[in-house]
Amino acid sequence: MNLILILIISFGGAILTYLAGKISSKLRDILAVIISSGLFFYISSLFGTHFETKLWLNFLGFPLLLRLNQLAWIFTLVISLIGALAVIFSLSYIRGKEKTDYYYLMILTVNAAMMAIVLAGDLITFFIFWEIMSWTTFLMICYKKGPALKAGMKYIVMSIFGSMAMLIGILTIYTAFDTVVISELITKFASASPGFTLFTMIMFFIGFGVKNAIVPFHTWLPYAHAEAPSPFSSILSGVLIKIGVYGFILVLYVMVGVYKSLQLSSWLTGIKYTLSIIAAFTIVIPTLIAILQDDAKKLLAWSTIGQAGYIFLGLAFGTSLGLAGGMLHFFNHAFFKALLFLVVGAVEFRTNGIRDLNSLGGLSKKMPFTFIAALIGVAGLIGIPITNGFVSKWLIYKTLIIEHSPFLAFAALFGTWGTILYCYKFLHSIFLGQLPEKLKSVKRSPVNMRIPFFVLSVGIILFGILPGIPLRVINEIIVSTGLERLNISLWGLVSDTGILNTLNIFIAIVITGLIASFIFKLARRSRYVDQDDNYAAGAYVPKDKYNFSVDFYAPFYRMFENYLKDFFDILYDKIARTTEYLCDNIRKIYNGYVGNYVMYILIFLGILVFVQLKWSVF
Amino acid sequence: MYFLHLFILALLALFSGIILVGISRKISARIHWRYGPPLLQPLIDVIKLFSQNSISHGFFFDFGIILTLVGSFILIFFIPVSNLYVMNSGGLIAVIYIMLLSPFGLAISAAAGANPNASIGITRKFLLSFAYEIPLLLILLSVMTHYNTISLVKIVDMQVDSGWSFGSGTLILSGISYLLILPAILGIRPFEVVNASQEISSGPLTEFGGKHLAFASIQHSLHTYAVLALFVDLFLGGSSLFGLLKPISSTIWGSLIGILVFLVKVAVLMIFCLFINAVFPRYRIDQAMKYIWKWPLLTAFVGLLIVSLLN
Repeated sequence: MNLILILIISFGGAILTYLAGKISSKLRDILAVIISSGLFFYISSLFGTHFETKLWLNFLGFPLLLRLNQLAWIFTLVISLIGALAVIFSLSYIRGKEKTDYYYLMILTVNAAMMAIVLAGDLITFFIFWEIMSWTTFLMICYKKGPALKAGMKYIVMSIFGSMAMLIGILTIYTAFDTVVISELITKFASASPGFTLFTMIMFFIGFGVKNAIVPFHTWLPYAHAEAPSPFSSILSGVLIKIGVYGFILVLYVMVGVYKSLQLSSWLTGIKYTLSIIAAFTIVIPTLIAILQDDAKKLLAWSTIGQAGYIFLGLAFGTSLGLAGGMLHFFNHAFFKALLFLVVGAVEFRTNGIRDLNSLGGLSKKMPFTFIAALIGVAGLIGIPITNGFVSKWLIYKTLIIEHSPFLAFAALFGTWGTILYCYKFLHSIFLGQLPEKLKSVKRSPVNMRIPFFVLSVGIILFGILPGIPLRVINEIIVSTGLERLNISLWGLVSDTGILNTLNIFIAIVITGLIASFIFKLARRSRYVDQDDNYAAGAYVPKDKYNFSVDFYAPFYRMFENYLKDFFDILYDKIARTTEYLCDNIRKIYNGYVGNYVMYILIFLGILVFVQLKWSVF
Repeated sequence: MYFLHLFILALLALFSGIILVGISRKISARIHWRYGPPLLQPLIDVIKLFSQNSISHGFFFDFGIILTLVGSFILIFFIPVSNLYVMNSGGLIAVIYIMLLSPFGLAISAAAGANPNASIGITRKFLLSFAYEIPLLLILLSVMTHYNTISLVKIVDMQVDSGWSFGSGTLILSGISYLLILPAILGIRPFEVVNASQEISSGPLTEFGGKHLAFASIQHSLHTYAVLALFVDLFLGGSSLFGLLKPISSTIWGSLIGILVFLVKVAVLMIFCLFINAVFPRYRIDQAMKYIWKWPLLTAFVGLLIVSLLN
């Protein structure tokens, strides 16, 4: 009943919000916030419970099942949290724009559909809500029209491709096993042949890979993330693409249980290494491409692909440590990436929609709260110690080193150093350096935008210092998939091959920080001068002229510009254009001449007669 | 005991960092046929700077410079000297990450003012560190793979038992590669692109004066010490002296001599880097990146290949 209640509240609430918008916009806003945050609190109260319910309606004779376990719980929790914060953020972001009711309807429906996917107990339910999510996402990406329509089209074409692959997978499973209930499939897959398992796995991987933007299925993501409204970008990047991660865990660890039998069958190790190499490419190439971006949201979008690679790399290894790293990175990434997209949203909101990194700069004094949020988000993304990103990346690196894959570890570490480059570019181009004249009158971010900033920033720091909180839940998931339990404490990890104690590092940083700032305070007071009052070795630094942001890493660009293109995107575009050209030419046979049509018929009949005479087929 | 270790380690790093900078100025001067400043001149400079006037561009300007110092200070607690070590949490991976704190702090601080020179310097710093981190990561990974642990303390212990890893054959290529990029990590010529004083008026440090500059100088000396000490721990066996110290390793004299041996190794390494610094001109940033991605990267890559094949 609890699970049906979640569905009713989330889907019904979306429609109710839409209807309330027809009466008054204030009522709609209040309702949207109450529903989304209410869901978060309700779901967090369900911690540790296990449910299984059947929906009262059937689909083509299939019963629709819902179930809640630890794995589903942590995903619904993150979805509802990011959803609620995005709604709160939207209150001022979307106010006064057109089709606001529609916006809230869509954003709440996407959230509802994502929760339903995660709660689904059989593959048919999973697929139905998967499609609802895909289509509402499409409508949401296209919200701004113009270039957004093209981005949306790119997304939906790839998404349909993925869903179709997944549908084939589901149908194959159904014809072979006569059931689509996940809990029953676990036992069925244990006795399935390797070839069959591999086929269904590949089909599902295409479906999830498109959502999770694994190279080579990533090409929709940069456009979609950049063109969608910023609060929705944070949902897209923070949780929506992680539904793909959920899918991977579902297939790899729960349904097929591949890694339970990994030790037994050697053919699976091949898959493991293929997946890890794909993941390594997904980390390295998008990270380098992100450095070249000049659009704040596109930069973050490429970074999202790179970070998805980390999650995937952790999951692919199939050890307790790897699964913990992957899961934790999913959890953490939702926090910092959502935060960074919201930061861009706030900047966009206050500067009338500028997100071009080359025309921003020096906003740290104008928008201090946003800057602090950006700083914490960036620190998390890089993985600086005492932020949550450090812990999850540490777990992933350690997995790779312990499993004797130094080259994969190198790819992952390399990704981090690329991350530093684009993160600093992001930070500097928006908040540091010279303040352009046109941005002199920028105001601080409104209060409702600061609430999500605060919540997410606290999350990043808190789970960085005490990673044991999410790790404890993740440990239960690890145990439920049949892997070994990790030795986790509130502040890290204990094992023979190296310990992690984040609390220790935190205390060290705080104490040295306090001492250093004490000495700093004790020394002679410094004179406060204006930002533009600079020393330039005798030369004059003109205001507003020398903002260092265009060609930020010029030598790097010169070296890589020609090699770092999204070759897959170009390839897909070429395929699309060739198909269009071919179809266009085929269309030309309908030229409106009846005589020609008669000729076609005669030629066709002639071919048939020829075939019959020659080979007597009919 | 723990706090005693902490205290000694901090003092040791501060003192030897400052002395190292002093030595380096003296030796460079002698190579240039000058007399050179006294050995403790860096210390005198820092004290002088604290009493001088300084300007500030606001909260983040101050915050960043404090973060820079904190980052370098914490780093030294992770690097064992003889029997002294304070933190082993997270091992070498944590060390790599802690190393990020101080450039990040410096970047925030430098760019909080609107000086374009500082911004240019910072981008160069990140590009240069991006360049040298790639071979460095390969080197660290080969050490971690060779000893199959991520704990720096264990790596040092194993070298005490089985000899320096620099002489062990398997890790020699990684060691050579580290030596090749060492000037880049230290930011000295031929890789002095970040603080290029003739070109961008000392880059990120342009806006610093008084206590800000004092903090930056302390950070610089700590960083110099930490980078060299890391090499000594990874490749020159920490404080081991061809097994001569083994019989007295548990006594207080053993640890004292161990510390001394360690510092001598650090100093020798520093002098080696100084010889390079004194005679070479400065690369451009793109030349520096190209150089690092040629020979050091190749050696490091082959080094890791050998290590992973042998394991």
